[in-house]
Amino acid sequence: MADYDRRPGGDRRGYNNSKKRRYQDRPDDDDYDRRGPRRRFDAPPPHVRIRKQLLSIAENPMRPWHEEVASIANLFTDSWEDDHMLRGNFVDLILQLAVEQPLKTPFLAAVVLVANTNRPEVVDMLLTKLVANTEARIGQGEWRDVKLYLKLLACLQSCLEGDGVFPVLEELFLRAVDLQTASSEDTIGTELVKIILLTLPYVMAAAPGQWQQKAADLMEKTEIIALEPHALQILIEPYHPESSEESSTPSSSVIKLLQTQLQSEANNGWALPCLPRPWEFPPGEAEQVSKLASAAKHALPLIAIPQTVVAGPRPLFPEVYFSVYGNQEVESVPSINTAAACLIRDALLDTINIMDYNRNITARHLIEVDCFFAPRTFAARATPFDRLRDIEPPKSTWKPEDVAVDAVFSQLFQLPNPEHKLVYYHAVLTEACKLAPAAIAPSLGRAIRYLYRNVHHLDVELDSRFLDWFSHHLSNFGFTWKWTEWVDDVFLPDLHPRKAFIRGAIDKEIRLSFAQRIKNTLPEAYQDLVEPEMEKEMPDFKFLDDKTPFAAEGREIAALLRKKAADEEMQPVIERIHALALDNNLDPLVTSTDVFVTAVLHIGSKSLSHVLAAIERTKDRLTDAGAASDAARAQITTAVMTYWGGHPGVAISIVEKLLNYSILAPSAVINWALVSHAGETKGQALARAHIYELVFHTVIKVTTRIRQVAQKPALTPEDEAAHEAEVRSMRELFRAMEDALVAWATGAKDEMLEDGTADAERETFIRRWGERWLRVFRRRAAIEEAFLLEAGKEREKRAAAAAEGNGNGAEVDVELEDIA
Amino acid sequence: MRGQRPTVDRLDRPSAYFNNRNKRRRPGQDRRDEEDTKMQHDEPEDDPLKDATTLYVGNLSFYTTEEQVYELFSKCGEIKRLIMGLDRFNKTPCGFCFVEYYTHQDALDCMKYIGGTKLDERIIRTDLDPGFEEGRQYGRGKSGGQVRDEYREDYDEGRGGLGRAIQQAERLRDAERRDKENDHGSDHGRLR
Repeated sequence: MADYDRRPGGDRRGYNNSKKRRYQDRPDDDDYDRRGPRRRFDAPPPHVRIRKQLLSIAENPMRPWHEEVASIANLFTDSWEDDHMLRGNFVDLILQLAVEQPLKTPFLAAVVLVANTNRPEVVDMLLTKLVANTEARIGQGEWRDVKLYLKLLACLQSCLEGDGVFPVLEELFLRAVDLQTASSEDTIGTELVKIILLTLPYVMAAAPGQWQQKAADLMEKTEIIALEPHALQILIEPYHPESSEESSTPSSSVIKLLQTQLQSEANNGWALPCLPRPWEFPPGEAEQVSKLASAAKHALPLIAIPQTVVAGPRPLFPEVYFSVYGNQEVESVPSINTAAACLIRDALLDTINIMDYNRNITARHLIEVDCFFAPRTFAARATPFDRLRDIEPPKSTWKPEDVAVDAVFSQLFQLPNPEHKLVYYHAVLTEACKLAPAAIAPSLGRAIRYLYRNVHHLDVELDSRFLDWFSHHLSNFGFTWKWTEWVDDVFLPDLHPRKAFIRGAIDKEIRLSFAQRIKNTLPEAYQDLVEPEMEKEMPDFKFLDDKTPFAAEGREIAALLRKKAADEEMQPVIERIHALALDNNLDPLVTSTDVFVTAVLHIGSKSLSHVLAAIERTKDRLTDAGAASDAARAQITTAVMTYWGGHPGVAISIVEKLLNYSILAPSAVINWALVSHAGETKGQALARAHIYELVFHTVIKVTTRIRQVAQKPALTPEDEAAHEAEVRSMRELFRAMEDALVAWATGAKDEMLEDGTADAERETFIRRWGERWLRVFRRRAAIEEAFLLEAGKEREKRAAAAAEGNGNGAEVDVELEDIA
Repeated sequence: MRGQRPTVDRLDRPSAYFNNRNKRRRPGQDRRDEEDTKMQHDEPEDDPLKDATTLYVGNLSFYTTEEQVYELFSKCGEIKRLIMGLDRFNKTPCGFCFVEYYTHQDALDCMKYIGGTKLDERIIRTDLDPGFEEGRQYGRGKSGGQVRDEYREDYDEGRGGLGRAIQQAERLRDAERRDKENDHGSDHGRLR
């Protein structure tokens, strides 16, 4: 167990570490003292105390920073001679914390600065390691770590000789220029400029008044890269305005915002009021102040940056600044005109994305965000939004909860993908809401309302993420939501994006619970949205009704399947269906497929395990049925989606398994959704969240598979051929989607034309859904192409290196593999 | 850097349950010996959870369905196999399951992001598991369910009320009391 759990008081135990209490056979179990005689209290040794204090630095809002900083620094320098191990441990811990808990970096720097007044050697030790670590991270393309080390370095600017951190930033800029001139789609160069811009404010806060000219020179240079709109930005725009609202301004890129915000900071003498300055001591501590001013300066060893830099393990994309609290009557989050918006957001995002391995601590840091920035940056915690209006002007109206929640939402709504699985961001919000419900829940409520109001021009992929988060979140909090406030929207047509959201949310809630439970949480007007078949645990078997064509055959097949009869016994019935179908002018293969698949689903209706077992037993016949004709293949999907129509979640899981068995091909599923089913429903299908989910999952399945192969270090000629075939079919898939969706988006679809009822409103809705879907899958296609291009280059590079290696002996080969 | 102790606990570590059970499995060694062996090889050479793709999921309601488990756990990756825990005698769900993913990373992510959150309005527990084996789907309690449901003193509606052993004991007591009363009555009658 690590340090967080050792701290006395408060219940900070992770759920997994909680001591499991077996059955309580003693009534006074809790009071029973098992510890034996009390141990005499000895203060733990300095290295333990220093570690503990560094780990929790700045977390206690009641303790003045300068006191805390000085006490840690003095404890460390006082133990300098007694404990030689401590020196290295101290330096290592500072560097580790800087990349693991970056909100604490300025405070760590302050400890180092105070320690420097007594033991200047420690700074040299730190700088040596810091430089080595930074170089290593540059080599790996771990740009976030590079940024975080530079942030620490920036905070130490006042104890550095010469220009301190500036030469490093200038060197980084030179690389950025090279990259940007080489390609307009370059993302590493943009990332480097972002790092420079995010480091600069910390330099200016750490060493005020000295570096304004240097900063101005640097910013003059970064301007051209930062302000240039990035070629890829259009792809990752979260909103997709209707053509009529062309005027709505596109979101701003983070880097462009940073450049303009810092420009106005520069004009304002780099006041940067939000940044903490724990190295500043109050006037009463004159001795400490003068010691700090006269402390030793250190030369920063050269940080070598190789001529070619690499993108690293995570694909880089430009970032847009996303906020769910824009345009409010009172500013509850920093406006995009102030540097605080980007600086606080950046520190929070690092915290969120680095600490995915402990969402409880992440949530705690988010709730306590005000501890890590300058006093008076935020309004008091848990101030209700309505009360912000009463705050007198010079005081801040920024709600810490809003700022924290906004940062999580920016990840949840990041295109193409955030760093971690979406469910992580769900979990962080859940945890924050559990820790401080009174503060966080109202902020989430306002975020939900904002997103709901804007759902019609949200990218459909994000619309779907919103739905998924919303239903998952409610499932953690007793499914309570003020549905009454959306009651008017229940009466909107199903094609309306808000109505589609409501229907999708109810379906997803039911999937995580059950229909009756959810029905009980919904007001009267919503009751009809829970349709009767959604309340049935097992769907009706249509062949039980003699009025259904082929009822007798359907029942017979089900009976045969149930007694696990041999396939030969099945064949005569299937042939009878074929004959009967021909007599009735029906497609025999489609008819027999429908009867057979429906019967399989029926005998497997008890649970997913049952249906999977049934599919496993009949997979040969199912495969043959699917291979018989396109129409029969489409019928498999139709049968599944129809039989489980009341429970789309189950239907989607079954289709997923059928894809795994190759009983269905991805193209068949897509074709079913975007052509057959969308056609039959005259486009209505495009407004159904579960149809989008089905298509999206299918596409992701294809692309994931291709990525896995493309990332293999080397491909044999056979692999290569197979891979190329898969890539071809992926491209065909995307092309087919493009064709189908363009037809819906332009209103060229037959089903739309022949409708003749000239329902203009309906047509507008459908075209709009078509446009929005199109955008999602065009983006996916573009991203996959970009990925394949990079992966191909990477493989070529490796192949070339391997060929060279073979000439020089096998050892080199192994080494290169290791590096890769 | 990898060897460093993280500054914050990780949630994707196996629970104390797994570690303790493994310790208990070595018979004939007293604690002292065990600690010595542990000192010698600090890092067990073959960690059975190194590539684990399976999770044990506990504290489910008896009424939670496979479909609900699928819906939640798919958020961490495609599920390869799901095995519901069953009462050894009735073959009805008894409040646990095994979820198997295709990759180790998905299983770790599930520990981090889903363990300790709610499913069907109950906080569920996840633990890395070396893999399902036939027989493990059944409860090991005396009456067929999980051991923890034998002696549980709190009333848990989602898990069959009070512990089964307690319910049994109560039933027994009631029956005895009834018998006694009846016996008494009949004895009385006979004496007459």
